[in-house]
Amino acid sequence: MWTRRAWAAVLLVALFAAAAGSAGDKGPPRREVYPAQFPDGAGRPLAERYCAICHAPTLVTQQAKDSTGWEKTMSQMEKWGIQPTPAEHDSLRDYLVSHFGPRVR
Amino acid sequence: MLRRRDFLRRLGLTGAVALAGGALKPWEALAKAAPEPGLIVRNTWPEHWETTLDALGRAWWTPNELFFVRSHFGAPEIDVSAWRLEVTGLVDRPLSLSLSELKKAPQADAVTVLECAGNGRGLYKLPNTAGTQWERGAVGNARWAGPLLSTILYHADLKPEAKHVWFEAADRAALPDVPPFVRSIPIEKALQDTMLALRMGGSPLPRLHGGPARIIVPGWYGMASTKWVTRIRAEATPSDNHWMARGYHYVYPGEDPASAAPVQEMKVKSIITWPLEGSRIPGGSVHFAGFAWGGPAGVRLVEVSLDDGRDWRPAFLDAERSATAWRAWSVDLPVDPHKMMSVMVRAFDGNGQQQPLEARANASGYGNNSIHRVSFRVD
Repeated sequence: MWTRRAWAAVLLVALFAAAAGSAGDKGPPRREVYPAQFPDGAGRPLAERYCAICHAPTLVTQQAKDSTGWEKTMSQMEKWGIQPTPAEHDSLRDYLVSHFGPRVR
Repeated sequence: MLRRRDFLRRLGLTGAVALAGGALKPWEALAKAAPEPGLIVRNTWPEHWETTLDALGRAWWTPNELFFVRSHFGAPEIDVSAWRLEVTGLVDRPLSLSLSELKKAPQADAVTVLECAGNGRGLYKLPNTAGTQWERGAVGNARWAGPLLSTILYHADLKPEAKHVWFEAADRAALPDVPPFVRSIPIEKALQDTMLALRMGGSPLPRLHGGPARIIVPGWYGMASTKWVTRIRAEATPSDNHWMARGYHYVYPGEDPASAAPVQEMKVKSIITWPLEGSRIPGGSVHFAGFAWGGPAGVRLVEVSLDDGRDWRPAFLDAERSATAWRAWSVDLPVDPHKMMSVMVRAFDGNGQQQPLEARANASGYGNNSIHRVSFRVD
């Protein structure tokens, strides 16, 4: 039977491991810190077709925005040359909000 | 719109390689150019690589191979033998200079910190965040060498109405409608200490860092230090390019973007490179160390706290070798064993400005100089 002190020690070690893992400045260097591919979903082919013209998926998969935020980004990208159909636009926006929505801190 | 075939041709990929669903995608191919250990890949294409605090802490100079990389459109292929720097606009004597001609000009030598304006963006507590989520390592301290801009502009014979200097570069986005990256700085800063860097850390300027030539604007955030520069233009007004007029402004929540202040000089900031987050260190006298920088004003004071900011103690600062280089700080403090602790560090610049506990978050995540705190365990 574990004592209260033993459980406390385990909890302490777990807390430190979590802190070290989130800081990113210790241990083996991280080669990739965000998903390198777009996650599965209805909009994945659209993201690969339109977003990945200019940059790797990681630039998208590390961002967090609500619908207004992604609309603003997509509006800028459409001004610069990508041309999704209206239906593709809506589908892509919904996919981005669904997978990379606002961050809860 | 750029057609798919044109895009693939631009990337040098064959028809057998498809963008969507193919065997090899551009970012996967570029990811094979593996960066050094000590670099965190925030994005593979264009290259956005961050230096770990562990790597930064190893030396006052940041080695070229460990220096953070931030590119807007990816490193262009440049034929150095054919490359020329054009100097145009409000000058009486337009110039077209080869690399060998620039090397024969008087060479300046300066150590200065380069920090990405978005360094710390990933640490702002905002629900919406755009761009690369840098933490603390989009910064480095390097020796740069090359002719001062004042030398080049002297030979071009500036007209009196020249008030700003524009920098045009060779890098381009894959989509043709994306504006090229153009920045400008006031003529006073251009003539004060701005450099056309041809060398970095004692070597020819690496391609990833803007080679064969880049601008270095000491004390300003990195966006001003244009990489792969091809043309310098003397003009009467600031550039109206997208990256000047709309990008790189401090837009705070609820405020009008039209009246937002531009991102220019670096804010005073410090980092802890020892101990590292989550370290286990022996009790007794503990060594704390890191670096501090303060933009053009330099660093005047660095303090550390072991009690959540109630009591601050001054750290030892090494000699100031250049106002815009960073300064190493260190202090040895007694700590009791068998406990978890945290250390905080704050710096003051030459104008008396100090780091805030929490920098004010802004829409694009610029200028995060919040106080750095590191937690560690004392055995």
